[in-house]
Amino acid sequence: MSTVDEAAFYSTVSSYFRPDKWRSASGKGVTVAIIDSGIDANHPDLGSKVVELVEARIDNKKVVFDPSTSGDSAGHGTACAGIVAKIAPDVKFSSVKVLGAGGLGDGQAFLAGLEYAIKKRYKLINLSLGTTKPQFFAPLHDLLDRAYQAGCIVVAAANNLPQPSFPSVFSSSLISVIKSIETDPFNFGFHYGEVIELTAPGVNVRTAWLNGGYRNLTGNSFACPHIVGVIALLLERFPNLTPFQVKSALYAIARENQLKG
Amino acid sequence: MPEQDNSQFGDKFRKMIETIDVANLLTEPLTSSINNLLLSSASEIVSREASVLVREGDQGDLRFLTAIGEVAELLYGVKVPAGKGIAGFVFSSGQPMAVADVGEESTFYAEIDKKTGYSTQTILATPLRHSGEVIGVLEYVNRPGVPPYKPFTPDEMDKAAFYADAIASLVNAYESAKLFRELGDKVLSTDDNTRLPELREWLNNLRDSPEHRETMELAILLREISARGPNERQICREVLEAILKFSDKNSETSFLSM
Repeated sequence: MSTVDEAAFYSTVSSYFRPDKWRSASGKGVTVAIIDSGIDANHPDLGSKVVELVEARIDNKKVVFDPSTSGDSAGHGTACAGIVAKIAPDVKFSSVKVLGAGGLGDGQAFLAGLEYAIKKRYKLINLSLGTTKPQFFAPLHDLLDRAYQAGCIVVAAANNLPQPSFPSVFSSSLISVIKSIETDPFNFGFHYGEVIELTAPGVNVRTAWLNGGYRNLTGNSFACPHIVGVIALLLERFPNLTPFQVKSALYAIARENQLKG
Repeated sequence: MPEQDNSQFGDKFRKMIETIDVANLLTEPLTSSINNLLLSSASEIVSREASVLVREGDQGDLRFLTAIGEVAELLYGVKVPAGKGIAGFVFSSGQPMAVADVGEESTFYAEIDKKTGYSTQTILATPLRHSGEVIGVLEYVNRPGVPPYKPFTPDEMDKAAFYADAIASLVNAYESAKLFRELGDKVLSTDDNTRLPELREWLNNLRDSPEHRETMELAILLREISARGPNERQICREVLEAILKFSDKNSETSFLSM
């Protein structure tokens, strides 16, 4: 019996994911589900990339999804898609609008959106939302296990509030991100063992906004799509990566960043 | 028989409402405390305007409850439709965010600015949560001095979340007091449609809940103290504010978390 030599292990993994193997990728062939306030498909940076626009609606106490023509109600979903597209310009987007659709409670809405994206088997899911309602703990946990088993990589924004928010505090089955002042999307951090493991740019990020505009935004919600963009590049080059492998790859790459830094 | 029961019950209930006089007793001191907290937080976060928006109905709409700054008076009661603008997003997503350059294009803020004549340029918004539920939004707008304004920082975002916690408790208390007041108004009105059996059930539940009973006892105490004069009211307010300040469960300085 011997202990794992962590340095040797991760240097092997990071050399497997050497920058020259994936950083020149563009996210081609990868569709990202953005569960948010919608995407402005008329934005010059995004229009050609949006392949699906759906919107949540309550029908007989159940949440159903219809094609959406209402665009982005807040600018947030457009902003998240803009960040992903900047890193991975050839990705496609599915906009799953769950906010601003009316009549839905916060947790109920994004739970339904997440379920929709998992059912459609989107490989990469951006969830810049969270809830602190304890009643959503169990159903979200169940849903994330389903995502994990289906091979869907769910990336969630942490909540910088004093109390835990779901799903970002679940450590096993998804990737949780918190903002840092770093500006290089490739220079993300991974803090193994902490509740929120990944750090990515999230301060004054310039990205797409409503009416074809751009804004400088701060928040964990904008750190999350940076990691989604990076994963999209990895997925183009390694399409069969599992959520488990993606996490190991991110850890190995971040470790290498830190050693170099 | 049930008719008479209802009428006796109604009388008792009216007396109870009149005794407690929740309308003036609870909501006013609460809005004043919220304003005090807004003022000190705005000075700490270095913003020129600050406001509290609370949920209106159950469809995700918001309404300005209170505000400080040069256009504060114009904001009271202004409604924000569900999911609209930064406040609407923060409310429905539970995610705090800052926008450095709100700009003047046709967003929801342009509509509000049109009403107030103000120019929203930089904004920080964080959710107000109580018992895991988002009950409103706390906003800080612009900086003192002349534009362009320095964007709100991550550190200020953390500070806002800290203040949001305290303000959320006050907002929650305000909403409970308001509900009680509305119910009181309904009973005190001569409207024959008042549904006494429903009120009876509500009152029974209230009676059964130790938390509500204690709150009502506290309300009666407050009323007695308030009636004794301005000095007593001042002391009472200071003591209550001190308790609020130190009763943060997450704070190591809390003396109530035993």
